[in-house]
Amino acid sequence: MLEMAIASGKGGVGKSTVSATIAITLARRRKVIAVDADADAPNMHLILGLGERWEWEQPYSESMVARIVTEKCIRCGECRAVCPYKAIYVDEDGNYVVNPVICEGCETCSLVCPVKGAIVREEALSGMLRMTRTKYGFPLISARLEPGRPNSGKLVTEEKTKAKEIADDDTIIVVDSAAGIGCQVVSSLAGANMAILVVEPTPASFNALKRVHRLTKHFMQPAAVVINKWDMNPELAGEIEDYARESNLDLLGRIPFDDSIPKSMAMMVPVTEAFPDSPASKALLDVARRVEAILDEWTSWFMRFRPKKPEPYRPIIIKPEGF
Amino acid sequence: MIISVSGGKGGTGKSTVAVNLAILLAGERRLVMADLDVEDPNDHILLGVSLEEERPVNIMLPFIKYDDCIKCGECGRVCDTGAMLISPDGLPYVIPRLCSGCRACYFVCPTKAIVEGERTIGYTYHTKVDRGSRFDLVTGMLREGEEHTPPAVLAARERAFSIPADLYLVDTSAGTSNSVATAMDGSRLVIAVTEPTPLGLHDLELILRLTQKMGIETWVVMNRSGLGSEERHEEVVRSYGSEIVARIPYSRKIVESYVKGEPIVLLHPDSEEAKVFRELASMVEGVI
Repeated sequence: MLEMAIASGKGGVGKSTVSATIAITLARRRKVIAVDADADAPNMHLILGLGERWEWEQPYSESMVARIVTEKCIRCGECRAVCPYKAIYVDEDGNYVVNPVICEGCETCSLVCPVKGAIVREEALSGMLRMTRTKYGFPLISARLEPGRPNSGKLVTEEKTKAKEIADDDTIIVVDSAAGIGCQVVSSLAGANMAILVVEPTPASFNALKRVHRLTKHFMQPAAVVINKWDMNPELAGEIEDYARESNLDLLGRIPFDDSIPKSMAMMVPVTEAFPDSPASKALLDVARRVEAILDEWTSWFMRFRPKKPEPYRPIIIKPEGF
Repeated sequence: MIISVSGGKGGTGKSTVAVNLAILLAGERRLVMADLDVEDPNDHILLGVSLEEERPVNIMLPFIKYDDCIKCGECGRVCDTGAMLISPDGLPYVIPRLCSGCRACYFVCPTKAIVEGERTIGYTYHTKVDRGSRFDLVTGMLREGEEHTPPAVLAARERAFSIPADLYLVDTSAGTSNSVATAMDGSRLVIAVTEPTPLGLHDLELILRLTQKMGIETWVVMNRSGLGSEERHEEVVRSYGSEIVARIPYSRKIVESYVKGEPIVLLHPDSEEAKVFRELASMVEGVI
């Protein structure tokens, strides 16, 4: 079993398009499971043309929400003062109310409340875990977070656990991660054998690439780079290539700026199928073939691109007096 | 007054809309822009300015006075992130990376054996911007390796709101989690930026559901208009009682301004694209 995570730091630079192409291409010769780990804004099923028909769906609740029982509340304001998320407000009638789209369900408010039973914690539906087969011969595991629920790395971990349950020893798990560098991305990268970082030649995307690259170094993962829309700014694309070389990141390829990608999205057909001869499709397929080659010579690739020195995450801690 | 720019999907043009609006709206009033996309803040990059006045975002980290610990295990029971590990001998141990700083353990401990330390999870910045007009930019940034965004969003929000202003313009992250809700909380208006693809539509509906739950009036801006069909977007937007108030054409000029770190209203003030932003800004003026 081998797990690869596709990340980018910045949103909308082409993660899902790259992930879909890799999954489709690898599935011709290997067992593949695709995981859409962007539970906040899951899109892989749309890129693969699947719509919203899921063969298997399961509600997922791990988070709690606090609720203030108005009749019992003495309006002392203690809960509001300690809420770490500022999720408690006072409404027009002077009642203390919990904002359910902000509350994370920690027990802090209930613990300081002087009236027994004035604050109750209730289980909240966090989202859905779902799965379906695709016509490309691999299953897609996806998740959807309920709007306003805490961003859930646990939900991503759940998806990956599901993938491992149905995987064989020789299965390749392709994880399409969320934008950013927060818990969903950390959970996507954790345990992956390699990372593929997608970047476009803009200062914003380059900066985000460096941030997410720091995470792959924390995890001691070998990583590779795909430059999307490279001809939008060839000079900056060149700088990104220099950065990749200096930082021991493998360069998998450059995708040109091409209307066939947004057009194929509108058609909800993968671009490599809708416009197989477009310059972007050809470049994407080249990238997927490079990934196949990496898998064929895995050990030597792994040894070559694995970070040479460990750079683990170290928390910055300020000790209280006497410690 | 707070106005937020959001949109669900990543890369639809939230920051582009936000920085151009900031420049246009700052002329007449004191404006503070808050970049609350703490996982990937880039308004400063689009504006071509360097971040200034760094301050750490510290959250509470529990320390245990083992002499006072009676091994009751309450701290481990109330910890909902798995950061308080109870060892087989009954003593609690803290895993800093997992701690959300909620202080539940501190309040539940019957012997006051938990003392408050701190952990730095990110930084906020306050930058004076002078790009076409003058305004303040407050930026929140999560440290690489940290996972929990809401405290960083809150810290940047509070720093922005501590600066006296007539208008606070908030730029949120992608997605629809409680971090986005925290960023938008208290807004008079949300401007949701989308694109004419099924992906944009899917995520737009999620953000419309969130703003509906929060009871915030929402306008939709269609970016890269002309790239694909907008019919379904129109239907969905209408069903949420909202409307598409502006369409930014799909253009190389915007890409160019993005690459250069020079907002389009400054780089090509006479372009069609800049005109759309001016119209949008005057609609926002109407609300103000």
